[in-house]
Amino acid sequence: MPYYRCVVPEDALPFEQRQRVAEAFTDVHCGMTGAPRNFVHVTFASNAAGEFAEPYYIDGGNRAGRPAALRARLLGELKRAFRDITGVPDDQLGGRITEGPASWSMEGGHVLPEPGEEGPEWHRHTAPRHASPAPAGQHR
Amino acid sequence: MIDFNCIVQERAVEAGRWPALRSRLAKAATDVLGGSPDRVAVDFEVIPHGYGFRGGEISTTSLVRGSIAPGCEQEVRVDLMRRICDTWCEATGCTVDEVVVSVRDRPA
Repeated sequence: MPYYRCVVPEDALPFEQRQRVAEAFTDVHCGMTGAPRNFVHVTFASNAAGEFAEPYYIDGGNRAGRPAALRARLLGELKRAFRDITGVPDDQLGGRITEGPASWSMEGGHVLPEPGEEGPEWHRHTAPRHASPAPAGQHR
Repeated sequence: MIDFNCIVQERAVEAGRWPALRSRLAKAATDVLGGSPDRVAVDFEVIPHGYGFRGGEISTTSLVRGSIAPGCEQEVRVDLMRRICDTWCEATGCTVDEVVVSVRDRPA
C-alpha cells in the first residue's frame, strides 16, 4: 500500500511515460500523505477486456482512515498528473480510490499503522530501491 | 474457500517456482485457519518488466493478496500474514522488503 493500478489501452504508453507517471504518482501521494516514497506501488495493465468504461483508469487502493476530502483531492491530483504526462483528455480518464484497513496489510514484515499513527520507524523504513535499465527497445 | 492473488514482477519470481508456492501458501493458510489445502486457490499475475514501479523506480516487489471468510480475529490474521511473508521469502529468496502481504475479508 498504496497501490495504484493504471489500466490503459494495449501499448498505449511508452516506458518513458509509464515511468514519469509512476514518479509523479509517488510525488503526489507522498506530498499529500507524508508516506515514505518506497511504499508507493504503481503498475500498468491493459484495458483490453474492457474492465472499465473509460479507456484509461486509475484504480487506487489505500489505507482507510483519511478524510474523504483528502481522498478526493488526491485522486484529482493523480488524474491531473496523468493527463499532463500522457495528454489523455479528461473525458477518457476515470479513477477511484478504494480503501482497506491498514491492519489487514503487512509490509517489510510489519503490520501497517493506521493513517496518523505512524511512528518514527515508519519514516526510517528503507526498502531497497531498484533502479534498472529500461526494457530492451524502449527509452527511459 | 481461501484465495490468494499473487502479483509478481517479471524476472523476480520465475514461473517454475509457482507450483511449490501454491502448495506452501495453501499449507501456511490451513495451518493457521484450518480446513483443507484443496480449498485454497492461488493464482499468479505477472507484471511485465517496465510496467511495475515502487517509489517511482522499477520494482521487484511481489504483492500477495489473500481473501478469507469474514470474522477472523486480528491476532490470527497477523499470524497468517507473517506465515505467508516468511513462506514467500523462503520459497523465492526475496527479502522481507520485497513482499507486501494483505489478508482481507471476502466481500459478502
